[in-house]
Amino acid sequence: MNSISVVFFSSLRESLGLGEYSFTLNAPMTIGELKKQLAERLDNGQALLASGIQSSVDFDFARDNDVISDTAREVAFFPPVTGG
Amino acid sequence: MISVQQEDFQVQALYERLLKSNQTGAVAMFVGLVRQFADLPKDACTFELEHYPGMTEHNLQSIVDEANTRWPLLDVCVVHRVGRLSVDDQIVFVGVSASHRAEAFQACDFIMDYLKSRAAFWKKETQGEQSQWVSAKEDDALSLARWSDSQV
Repeated sequence: MNSISVVFFSSLRESLGLGEYSFTLNAPMTIGELKKQLAERLDNGQALLASGIQSSVDFDFARDNDVISDTAREVAFFPPVTGG
Repeated sequence: MISVQQEDFQVQALYERLLKSNQTGAVAMFVGLVRQFADLPKDACTFELEHYPGMTEHNLQSIVDEANTRWPLLDVCVVHRVGRLSVDDQIVFVGVSASHRAEAFQACDFIMDYLKSRAAFWKKETQGEQSQWVSAKEDDALSLARWSDSQV
């Protein structure tokens, strides 16, 4: 079991009304699977399934089929970045 | 030097940081500014930049590291502002020093393209009472594709 922090940014944070959520990983899970579970659990969670939502694990960009390692501490979900 | 900060920056001071005695033959610099995004008085338009502390700096460092593997650079400086900004404010500075102009120009261009698509910043525009998050532009993804063999 590994407890991770899941954080949300920008319009996704506003849609969910939530900046941070604690999640316990009981078994290996991909980013895509985590996203689906959160979509079911959180109010307005369908916002997580919108096209273009990106993710990171411990500050590195991740993809839906990446498995979250058992040493991971923080997963983030956010819309496409718009800096510069 | 990489900095994510609320404060404004002085281009001249950043330029001087990039100079390496006897070695620098070229410095390429880019400054991004907040332009007027609505047909409203300037002071009715504000602009907010959110970032992901820790990840944003990590992203910028990865981009600079990749530029350093691609071109023989002397120094790189990236400064990006966050928080509330107004029309005409400076947002971002990218400066690259090198022995020759080709690598300085290319690395500066590369860093900006990657910063646009691979660094954790989000812009929100406010016009009068209305706010909206800025959408990512398809052009930015196309610009990124120019450097397609990157590992960043």
